[in-house]
Amino acid sequence: MLLTSLDPRINRLQVPADWPNSAVKKQLDQWATYEVFTQKRENTPYAYVGPVHAPDLEVAFVFAKEQYSRRAACFGLWVVKTQDIQHTPYVDDNESVFNLLNIPAPATASEQSEAFEIFMLKKRGKAHTHAGTVLASGYQNALAQAKQQFGEQIPCVNIWVAPAAKILKSSEEDKDWWLTLNEKKYREPVAYKVLDKINAFKNRTTNTP
Amino acid sequence: MYGGGSIFEPVKLDELAHEDPVKLAEFEARIQRGEKIEPDDWMPALYRKQVIRMIEQHAHSEIIGALPEGTWITRAPGFRRKMALLAKVQDEVGHAQLLYSAAETLGKTREQMTLDLISGKSKYSNVFNYPTFTWADSTVISWLIDAGAIVNQMANARGSYGPYCRALERICAEESFHLKYGHDAVVYLATGSSKQRQMIQEALNRWWPPIMTFFGPADKISAHTEILMRWKVKMATNDECRQQFLDMYVPKVWELTLTLPDPLLRKNEAGTWEYTEPDWEEFKQVINGKGTCNKERLAVRRMAEEKGAWVREALLKPEATYVKPLA
Ligand SMILES: [Fe+2]
Ligand SMILES: [Fe+2]
Repeated sequence: MLLTSLDPRINRLQVPADWPNSAVKKQLDQWATYEVFTQKRENTPYAYVGPVHAPDLEVAFVFAKEQYSRRAACFGLWVVKTQDIQHTPYVDDNESVFNLLNIPAPATASEQSEAFEIFMLKKRGKAHTHAGTVLASGYQNALAQAKQQFGEQIPCVNIWVAPAAKILKSSEEDKDWWLTLNEKKYREPVAYKVLDKINAFKNRTTNTP
Repeated sequence: MYGGGSIFEPVKLDELAHEDPVKLAEFEARIQRGEKIEPDDWMPALYRKQVIRMIEQHAHSEIIGALPEGTWITRAPGFRRKMALLAKVQDEVGHAQLLYSAAETLGKTREQMTLDLISGKSKYSNVFNYPTFTWADSTVISWLIDAGAIVNQMANARGSYGPYCRALERICAEESFHLKYGHDAVVYLATGSSKQRQMIQEALNRWWPPIMTFFGPADKISAHTEILMRWKVKMATNDECRQQFLDMYVPKVWELTLTLPDPLLRKNEAGTWEYTEPDWEEFKQVINGKGTCNKERLAVRRMAEEKGAWVREALLKPEATYVKPLA
């Protein structure tokens, strides 16, 4: 028996009314995980917006653009695989993870140094924000460098460290991706002048005898 | 939208007996101080279970809630309304993505949540088991169901779980468009021809009883409710949410000289709204599968899963391993 619906489109799909219980769903929703950061205004730090799941970094980037930058102003997008980020434990609000963790003074930069991006969380429940870039020989060393450069910033309840080379970043010329916002005014509450319509209706109905 | 009147599992207090009392006290003190809980923090198993359940139901409600409205995109009057409704429905599906991710941080995989939805194990907001007969029904959903959802989401945004709060912040920002769009569409019909007024009045009559159940039955004062409120999983009682909703929106319906199908509905001298008790027996029947649209909603979702399987299969890479999101 086929499902009958008020919606003609659903009727055309010819969906069975009762799904066979034997139909086992294939495990296909377990793609890899990526974390996404956006720049909301020009010349402001990138901030964490959330994860996406995708088969690889490029597809993750496309999903991230759809998921996190289709609605509000955006000037840039960074995407990185979750496993490429290492993080500290969380500490209490108003404390600094730099002071509570035993982080040794950094060794001087060596030949093998590469760039790491440092993201800091100021308060639980808020979003990690890009603090800056350090040159370091590995994650641990990057954290030590970060302490030296950004350790004065208090509070800081959690830190994420990711190698810059592992982050897929939008480039300067990609910025025009996000220039279509003004064409979609119908997604903005201010586009709806409801009060005018209500007042006109009230005037009309109270003036009629 | 959505996710009013979440259905929590009954709390068995002996579940807490196994928890480390020192850690439990620290956990509760953190919430008491107004700090958020983050995914890596120690938390009682019961908290994890209830928060997963709440966020997952909310996510499913966004997905399923997109169906009764989505069916009207092609039939929305005029190009501008089609564009707006399309954008709104896309927002709702995006909300589900954000919410699934937040639930995943607690250890339930997306695979499992999808499976639990299409097998009928997980619940979603019961109002979406009712049909949208006309365009006017879809405008009532956009306005009043979203309004109810906003009351609920604004309360939950003050809750204790960090990733859920972050998701709700983005969601609430988008909801303000939904509310205005919905209100505008209802006002357009209500201030139009007598035929249009009749359409919107009939849609209101159909939707009012389900709307009154949106926040769920009155909470019983119990250890269950008490602990969910103490842990800031539940931020307001179902009745508090319902009262707030009535206070904000009944006057907005009445000012259009439309009526609501409840002769007892009024605000008393004490400022509390009185109303006919919703039919909780029907609510129970419908949520357990006996509604007009339960089958259709799940069938459409299952079909989407099946028809899209080849895409996901083609993109699947054995070396790309799923991990839970960071935050
Ligand atoms: Fe939503
Ligand atoms: Fe909405």
